Amino acid sequence: MRVILETKKCSKPFLPIEAESIIPRNFLKGTDLTVYEGNKERALSELFWIFVEGTAVSPDKVEVVLKGDTSRVKRVGEYMDTGTIRIVGDIGMHCGNFMSGGLIEIGGNADAWLGREMLDGSIICRGNAGHYCASGYRGEKHGMKGGRVEVMGNAGDFCAEYLTGGEVYIHGSCGDMAGVEMKGGQLVIGGDATRPCGNMKDGTCMIFGTVHRMLPTFTKTGTQLLPDHKVAMEVYTGDVANRGKGTLMVSSRVPAR
Amino acid sequence: MTELMVKNACVIDPLNRINTEMMDIAIRDGRIVESVSGNADVIDAKGCLTLPGGIDSHTHVCGTKVNFGRYMSPEDMRAGRTARSGKMHVTSGYYVPTTYGNSYRYSRMGYTTLLEGAMAPLEARHTHEEFTATPHQDMLANTLFDGNWSVMEAVQKGDVRRVAAIVAWTLTAVKGYSIKLTNPGGTEAWGWGEDVTSIHEQVPNFNVTPAEIITAMIAANEMLRLPHSVHLHCNNLGKPGNYRTTLETFDLVPDRNKERQSLYATHVQFHAYGGTTWRNINSKAEEIARSVNAKPQIVMDMGQIMFGRTMTMTADGPMEFKLYCLHHNKWSNHDVELETGSGIIPVLYSKKSLVNCVMWAIGLELALLTKNPYQCLLATDNPNGAPFVKYPEIIGLLMSKRYRDEEFATLHDGTGQRTAISSIDREMDWNEIAIMTRAGQAKALGITTQGKGHLGVGAEADVAIYPIRCRDVDPSTEYRKVVEGFQKTMYTIKRGRVIAREGEIIVEGANSTFWVNPSVPEEISVASDPEFVKKFEEYYTVRMSNYPVQDVYLPRGKCIRTEAVL
Repeated sequence: MRVILETKKCSKPFLPIEAESIIPRNFLKGTDLTVYEGNKERALSELFWIFVEGTAVSPDKVEVVLKGDTSRVKRVGEYMDTGTIRIVGDIGMHCGNFMSGGLIEIGGNADAWLGREMLDGSIICRGNAGHYCASGYRGEKHGMKGGRVEVMGNAGDFCAEYLTGGEVYIHGSCGDMAGVEMKGGQLVIGGDATRPCGNMKDGTCMIFGTVHRMLPTFTKTGTQLLPDHKVAMEVYTGDVANRGKGTLMVSSRVPAR
Repeated sequence: MTELMVKNACVIDPLNRINTEMMDIAIRDGRIVESVSGNADVIDAKGCLTLPGGIDSHTHVCGTKVNFGRYMSPEDMRAGRTARSGKMHVTSGYYVPTTYGNSYRYSRMGYTTLLEGAMAPLEARHTHEEFTATPHQDMLANTLFDGNWSVMEAVQKGDVRRVAAIVAWTLTAVKGYSIKLTNPGGTEAWGWGEDVTSIHEQVPNFNVTPAEIITAMIAANEMLRLPHSVHLHCNNLGKPGNYRTTLETFDLVPDRNKERQSLYATHVQFHAYGGTTWRNINSKAEEIARSVNAKPQIVMDMGQIMFGRTMTMTADGPMEFKLYCLHHNKWSNHDVELETGSGIIPVLYSKKSLVNCVMWAIGLELALLTKNPYQCLLATDNPNGAPFVKYPEIIGLLMSKRYRDEEFATLHDGTGQRTAISSIDREMDWNEIAIMTRAGQAKALGITTQGKGHLGVGAEADVAIYPIRCRDVDPSTEYRKVVEGFQKTMYTIKRGRVIAREGEIIVEGANSTFWVNPSVPEEISVASDPEFVKKFEEYYTVRMSNYPVQDVYLPRGKCIRTEAVL
């Protein structure tokens, strides 16, 4: 079953829409859902044109497609456990919060808090991600616990903060403080990063670009050749300021032989 | 004149020796009376369990420390969210909820009076403001004196009359209710980066020992004839082997008052550990209970822990720092100038942790091994051991051996070797639970004369009606019904007004704050003592004239005057 939601032209386009009800499981029983526009509860059909193609017997066969200007639609896929959500354009904040299964594919850019505290499943973002991509929320000490987040573009600051499990792959560069307070899992950054992995306790972070303002609390333990990537990495352990046992790998300036 | 009649109530009122009797309760203008006119509103209790309003004799719900816990845990504010509806404000939070959240949840469980466990005198204004925002419960504030410089100087000179005078002035100034000692001496030592490890160790720079502070404070408390006794959080909280310190402390306590205990030892579970390290920690609840059974002058509360996430907050600064070293999580320590300190860190009590399982068992053992329920009250030191919403589960555990066994089976394998919980068969009855949750607490706090904790004629009309038919329910097997019943009252009546019905709050509250004003003879009063005034102006960052809490902070303050006998 495919559910296509296309945004209607709206008189107040800057009002945020809180749409935690947009998850595949909910569409199994129909499209009679509500979302909040600002502080008003609205029927989904007031804000979106809804097209349903085919039927499904189980939520994992449901595919939700969002079209139009979705850059202010927040919390899409919150607590999603199965099925697929495809977003053609940009998506607002908190996409894939606490997600525990299924797939979210974003064609454009994602705003802040993409996949925060997610447990399982996967998110692919073809554009850039905002700040706090795959992180924990304010005060939460265990961020993303499992699953996979892949961003083809760049990510903002505090990418994979409090990462506890799962895999985060940023093909572009990260902003400031990527992988701070990491406790597990794997963070891979294809481009550059600034001040990565502060207070890291466990887990692995690989950076294939340049690290700006490397923190002094990491101890270099050697170099390692990564055959998959055909590159030699300098291996650091840390953050020693907080009993850290994490591994930070930064691509070596010396070309691999 | 407002009148209310509660019909067909199955009343348990331990202070008036009423045990599951079917009776009617007549209420006029917030007080219980003999009878009311025919025009009175009638509530049909349908034969359900009716108790005096619940009293929590040690909880942390208001004050700077609790608020700092809220700052520290934005993630907790995602839980327990309820929208504004009717008379109810918005609430959020689970282990450090908003003040309204605390108030509504206590009301729902039938609690009508709370004692805030620790109020730093310097920060009293904020505590009183939060009391006002906890509208459904009458509030009392324990006032911290554990590291008070003037008190320690007077103790060092052996001048108990002066200790009493300082306590009297401070309690009146900050509108406090009773004396709280938290790790006496140790919190002050923490200001210098140290701690005291026994009650006979000297506090750095003051040449006094915790034992001297405790003894002098008990003497001063009785001189001032305060309604409550000294409220003590013993030294060495949470250290393996600390039961010796606790027993030594109990041995210091003389029997000075016929009406009530001379020492209230709080959250004793945290003070009943044997062993030498976390690896060989074991329960010494039996020793503690034996000591308490032999000493009617001591009342304690359980300090039960329940599994799950919560926040520890106490004036015991050094202990919180040690916990931080263990967890390396969020942490805050604070020093209150010349008075006390505090510390706050979040914790997770887990069934996988042997230490946590032993702690869980010790709390229950203390309650079950103490013969007189008036001497061991039900509390979790909310939120340190568990949020107070877990009280019904604790009641279930105390009333049912089978429930305890079922829980015990899910714990860490080593628990059985280190505790005796599985060999205790005692199952508490309804009357004992009523004592541990209201009558005993009212007696210990000395508020029975204010009409709290009982349903006799003249008492404040604080009544909780639970949806439990106690003659039909067998708590030892149907403990689920007990737990559910205590979670939500049918009616909670506060001063003659129904405030909660089936869990829904239906009125804006109007609580009172009780405070004491002990009058001491002019010649020993410290307010006019040049030495005290000089030191105050020299050391405090506030002026002495700005220090007392103005009446405006207590819109419904109730002053209890006492006449000191010096």
